[in-house]
Amino acid sequence: MSWGDSIHWIWRALLAQRLRSLLTLLGMAIGITAVSLMSALGEGVRHYVLQEFTQFGSHLLAVTPGKTETFGLGGILNTVRPLSLQDAQSLSRLNGVEKVIPVVFGTAPIKYAGLSRHSNVAGVGPDADSVWQLALAQGRFLPQDDLDNARPFAVLGSTLKQELFGSANALGESVHIGSARFRVIGVLASKGQFLGTDLDDTAYIPVSRGLKLFNRESLMEIDVVYRPNISAELISKRVKQQLEARHGLEDFTLVTQDEVLKSLDQILRMLKYAGGSLGLISLVVGGVGILTIMLITTSERAHEIGLLRALGSTAPQIRNLFLGEAVVLALAGCALGLAITASLLLLSRWALPGLPLTLPPQMVLLALAVSALIGVIAGVKPASDAAAMNPIEALRQSE
Amino acid sequence: MSLWDRLRFNSQVLARQRWRTLLLLLTISLGVASVVVLTSVGEGARRYVDGEFSSLGNQILLVLPGKTETTGGAPPLYGTSPRDLTLEDANALAQIGNIRRIAPIIAGTARVSHGSFAREVVTLGTTPDFFPVRNLSIGQGKPLPASAIDTASPTVVLGAKLKQELFGNRNPLNQWLRIGERRFRVTGVLQERGESLGLDMRDMAIIPIRSAEQLFNSPGLFRILLELKQIDQLEVAKQQILDKIRLRHDGEDDVTLISQDSMLSTFDNVLTTLTASVGAIAAISLLVAGILIMNISLISVSQRQREIGLLKALGASAPLVRSLFLTEALMLTGSGALIGTAFGELAVTIALQLLPNFPFYAPLWAELAATSMAVGCGLLFSWWPASRAAGLDPILAMRGEAGGGHQ
Amino acid sequence: MNRQPPSAMIALDQLSKQYRIGNTPLNALAGIDLTINAGEYIAITGPSGSGKSTLLNMIGLLDRPDSGSYCLHGEATESLNEERRAQLRRDQIGFIFQAFHLIPRLSALENISLPLMLAGLPRAEQQQRGMQALQQVGLSPQAQQRPNQLSGGQQQRVAIARAIVMQPPLLLADEPTGNLDQRSGGEIIELLEGLNSQGMTLLVVTHDNAIARRSKRQLKLVDGAIVIDQRS
Repeated sequence: MSWGDSIHWIWRALLAQRLRSLLTLLGMAIGITAVSLMSALGEGVRHYVLQEFTQFGSHLLAVTPGKTETFGLGGILNTVRPLSLQDAQSLSRLNGVEKVIPVVFGTAPIKYAGLSRHSNVAGVGPDADSVWQLALAQGRFLPQDDLDNARPFAVLGSTLKQELFGSANALGESVHIGSARFRVIGVLASKGQFLGTDLDDTAYIPVSRGLKLFNRESLMEIDVVYRPNISAELISKRVKQQLEARHGLEDFTLVTQDEVLKSLDQILRMLKYAGGSLGLISLVVGGVGILTIMLITTSERAHEIGLLRALGSTAPQIRNLFLGEAVVLALAGCALGLAITASLLLLSRWALPGLPLTLPPQMVLLALAVSALIGVIAGVKPASDAAAMNPIEALRQSE
Repeated sequence: MSLWDRLRFNSQVLARQRWRTLLLLLTISLGVASVVVLTSVGEGARRYVDGEFSSLGNQILLVLPGKTETTGGAPPLYGTSPRDLTLEDANALAQIGNIRRIAPIIAGTARVSHGSFAREVVTLGTTPDFFPVRNLSIGQGKPLPASAIDTASPTVVLGAKLKQELFGNRNPLNQWLRIGERRFRVTGVLQERGESLGLDMRDMAIIPIRSAEQLFNSPGLFRILLELKQIDQLEVAKQQILDKIRLRHDGEDDVTLISQDSMLSTFDNVLTTLTASVGAIAAISLLVAGILIMNISLISVSQRQREIGLLKALGASAPLVRSLFLTEALMLTGSGALIGTAFGELAVTIALQLLPNFPFYAPLWAELAATSMAVGCGLLFSWWPASRAAGLDPILAMRGEAGGGHQ
Repeated sequence: MNRQPPSAMIALDQLSKQYRIGNTPLNALAGIDLTINAGEYIAITGPSGSGKSTLLNMIGLLDRPDSGSYCLHGEATESLNEERRAQLRRDQIGFIFQAFHLIPRLSALENISLPLMLAGLPRAEQQQRGMQALQQVGLSPQAQQRPNQLSGGQQQRVAIARAIVMQPPLLLADEPTGNLDQRSGGEIIELLEGLNSQGMTLLVVTHDNAIARRSKRQLKLVDGAIVIDQRS
């Protein structure tokens, strides 16, 4: 029997039971949709989160005071061994370092003309705008003053500016942050949230003024931007040596953006696979559906099988025909599922423009391969049952 | 036809089509079991977090320095503001009638060393009330002296892990060690207990609050832990606290109050939503099983049309025929759901044996929802085949010419 | 049009039914007038396609006429809903088919109890009346056997037992011996005649003239019309 004939035969067999075939592949399609949609969602979230982090550039190294494994707490707590502005300055002179941003963060009441608002205050170095990708809506960012003795300038986030000034002009006005006066020299474009902190409800001031405002000796973090041609290991080593030389021991923690991204990527990939395997349950049920229907089909078509055998077809031929039927059902279900997924993803682009979801081609190929496999697994027993039928018995089973 | 007869009649049908029945049961129980197992993981996570919080006691209120007026978003956990929250503020708050205990905290990282062993750990400066407020018990020795409430003294209580790192199996009591450049005498060791709210209590040193002020050269409190007498007076207490702070901070209530309830309900909401959505995704498989039931019922109607014709000739009405087929689906999905729930519970029991610290628990609502979804799918998807059976013409059906299910 | 006497069990008045085979209309029943009294034993004969099975299905309330009326026990049946017709089939009419129509997965006793089960009788009574009917057809020892373990004659006896288990006043048999050999066929006819002599009205559709001659009234249908109605 030629390939063409086999496919024609299978096609006719499936068409003869149109409703049955349709329902079978519909089950399969829902399973495929569940898997591919969950994976696309997982991939979309992964992409989105990684982008959130890489917007600061990937050649970034964060130094926090205190040598402790407690992730993220280092900068907030007190320390007997502060990370000072001088530490930051010394790092900026290291070979391979492009920019250094000392950071201190807190909250403070910000007042202007009788209005007062408690907001975030970030004491930062003058390069923070370029490293953190802060876009200015008006004016300019903090100038390249001496780190120790910067002029009392402030740059306001968009929400904060709106709350204090409304639509009036803020540039050149004086605001009180804590008890000190600052002159507004810039307003930022809206940026949104990062890790739960609203960057739009934040005032940016020179870091030395921030330390004074919060009455702290120690910076919370020093962000180091290094040249792209230097490895993360090398720059970590240099920073470590430099700070150890200054402090006498390793009382700080280094985290490279690479490490953060790597562990984040790992977590997000796991989430993606977990999501996909949730959908897999439905796919398995769809596969069992094919098995069930194929078992019924072979027993119903015993007469046809007997006739084919009587007419001289071999057992492997019979087996392949029924196996083929199962695989075609699975693949057709897969195609339908992918089509449903694709249209849902198109819909999502329109509904959630912020989270672009795509169906990567390798996902499509994987789905087709998995479906073919499911078809084969589901088809093996019915097909070998059919092939093993005694032709005389099978013929006699006609009604 | 009595219910009993109907069940018996249908079970004979199901028993005869053994393969079909088994595979259908497999699909339904697979779907239900997945829902049960997955929600049990989510619910377990929720209970784990619940447990963590309730080990704090539900009358706890946290006071953080600084505040933002941003709507939504996380509270300003970094707790840095121009005006420090001080021990004096804490002592003023202690005057409020509804406050049973108060534990101001100064937190910092410092190098703790003894002999040749050293370790950089979180060091907490606090008052003796800290131990009952956090439900910490002393495994060895004594907690901080009563005088630690307002005076510095060179005494320290160690976490169990820190003690092990510095002293091994030797007795640490009354031994001297260094924190930063200062000397402290070990008075007690905390009982072994796991991580709690992100802080590893086993790897900490706890010293009197005034000593911490000197050590870190800063009077700024990291936060204040309060335990209220009456939790139903929470809102009043919050107001009283803000009033006190405003009085002491030139009219500014520049602190953030977090009640255990609000933290808990945030986590609760997130985890319950997560559990529900994971369960819902697993429940899609029940939809697929439903479509399979419809398919097989249609086939069944067509294969059994002679029997259906006969039943009608013998006086079975259309509603009776329909209800026979619906009962069949009901029996299948009902028992499938039971089997699935049983297997899910079994998996949960096994998981509990393997991971005794994680409270896996299949929530009843998920089991009920999965069961009713399974049964609902069964009824919904067999309605059409059952109606087709009910509508068969008895004469044609008995001749096997009614067409029945599939064309 | 003459009024039927009130004692008539079945009264057909101008009963007509048309089928379409392709585009050609076929008069299965062409205005049948017929009165049957309780206790009669009637054989219906005729060439195939003459409408005899249609007539039996009509009387058995399995089919609905296009026009004309059918009164069963004085009750006009045309306006009855399916529910009521199903109930009448269950309580008043016993069917016996050429192909037996036994459900293969059920035992002889269970097959017989089907109508009792449909009527919602308690299990104990189903058992008891089922066994009684089995005894009547002489198959008590075979109560637990499946249809495929029984001979053709035995299968038809089970079918007869099922038809009489509700003790209906009317028995309709469509070629009851058609699938049986001569000897078993004879036994089945004797069984049916015995039931008739106990008072059940018996209608037998047959193409076997030897069987037809044994009845007390013979009807012959040709092209949907009664051409002979003779009592012997």
